[in-house]
Amino acid sequence: MSISFESISKAFGQKQVLDQVSFKVNTGEILFILGKSGMGKSVTLKTIVGLLKPDAGDVSIGEMCVTRLDEEGLSEARKLCGMVFQHPALLDSLTVYENVAFGLRTLSPAQARERVIECLKLVHLDESCLNRKPPEISYGMQKRVSLARTLAPSPRYLLFDEPTTGLDPITTNAINELIFELSRKLKVTSVVVSHDMGCAVRIADRILVLDNARILAMGSVDEIKENKAQLIQDFLKEAI
Amino acid sequence: MGFLKNFLHELGGMYLFSNEVKKTWLCNLKTDMPLVLEQVSSVGLRTLSTVCFAGFFVGAILVIQFQLMLSQYDATAFLGGLNTSACIREVGPLIISFLLAGKVGAFTAAELGTMRVTEQIDAIRCLGTNPIQYLVVPRYIAIVLSSLLLLVFGLLVGIVGAMLVAGWLYNINSLQYLSSVPRFTDGWTVFCGVFKSAVYGIIVATVSTYKGYNASGGAKGVGRAVTQCAIYTNLFIVFANTWTSILLDAAHGFFKTLWGGQF
Repeated sequence: MSISFESISKAFGQKQVLDQVSFKVNTGEILFILGKSGMGKSVTLKTIVGLLKPDAGDVSIGEMCVTRLDEEGLSEARKLCGMVFQHPALLDSLTVYENVAFGLRTLSPAQARERVIECLKLVHLDESCLNRKPPEISYGMQKRVSLARTLAPSPRYLLFDEPTTGLDPITTNAINELIFELSRKLKVTSVVVSHDMGCAVRIADRILVLDNARILAMGSVDEIKENKAQLIQDFLKEAI
Repeated sequence: MGFLKNFLHELGGMYLFSNEVKKTWLCNLKTDMPLVLEQVSSVGLRTLSTVCFAGFFVGAILVIQFQLMLSQYDATAFLGGLNTSACIREVGPLIISFLLAGKVGAFTAAELGTMRVTEQIDAIRCLGTNPIQYLVVPRYIAIVLSSLLLLVFGLLVGIVGAMLVAGWLYNINSLQYLSSVPRFTDGWTVFCGVFKSAVYGIIVATVSTYKGYNASGGAKGVGRAVTQCAIYTNLFIVFANTWTSILLDAAHGFFKTLWGGQF
């Protein structure tokens, strides 16, 4: 149930985004990945679910080595992971219900409906929005629906790519609380990519800071707080 | 050199992409049919009015041009046959494919491009569904099928339009107009039109889904994908028109030699 990232390197053209990056996320843990924009945080998440192939190194989810799977194997591996994207990434042509039920095609309609309502409740939404289409609801609600869609197939791993980008501070707090609550309640392994050190300090078990394609620091919240690196200090100041 | 390299890269990409689409389609024939039918009706309805409108006037324009030429040789009796043959063989498929490229091709490229840059395609993949199967295959088949269906409608309206204009401007009644049609239009003529239409439909479907599916770089990237889709589609259609005409003429000659007057 752990995620391991071994000596991963990835470059886009001349730009080296990840250079020999290795870390492990333990079962049930919440790991926050922090770093400036363009430092490879989202690339790290997309590599975990096999949306991007690394140039070197191996990524494993539990017993499966993602980097060595074919598209069919990857599809199976992805069913274990739930990924929340920077954008809500809901399908505009489908209703909220159809979006949340997208990953539940193996269930009967009645079971799927029950699961959809259950997941919407987990993200504090009620049945009134079921028949509405994404453009008809607020951005904050779309983010919640996206989270519900991710939770619906009961993933063992949750990956969040800047889940609070573009949200007001109140909704940001609500989403952060939700991540913490869900990770603890569902006992899943979570990786959260974020710029928000304040939130990381509050809910992370461990924090990893990426800088210049490498790991600048990794450790518990207290260990990170004691780190004297300028970037980390800047992030901490921002959090205060 | 840079342009040529880019062009060949795109051409190779489109070839591989269309192969993947065909492979995915053949592996999932049953499950895709409802999505395909939904897309066919969507594409068909979206383009039908434009095709009918354009078809009517294309027929009318052709009749005026042919009449100008034929009247010089006192051969107005052949107007209906020549016009119908030209419509079915050449102008109909070409105009309809241009319309399809402008309306449905651009729409498909923009729709898939937006889905790509807003990570909807990645989200579908993360939910264990193949986006080529779910998004691309239905649109691809719908565009090809629609190009054939729209050809039928476009041609019928075009022929009717031509007939009405011939009657209105040159006092040629419908019976006179239609009497020369069998002389110039046979099964081979219809096959040529359908074949060309299918080829152009495949071009529009391949280019638009490829450019949309591989868009990157936010809103600007989607705009770029749509523009490139329009340019490539029109270029490829014109290129394919020349080669299909040469190929079909050669094939006609070959079959005629083989079967003589019966063909």
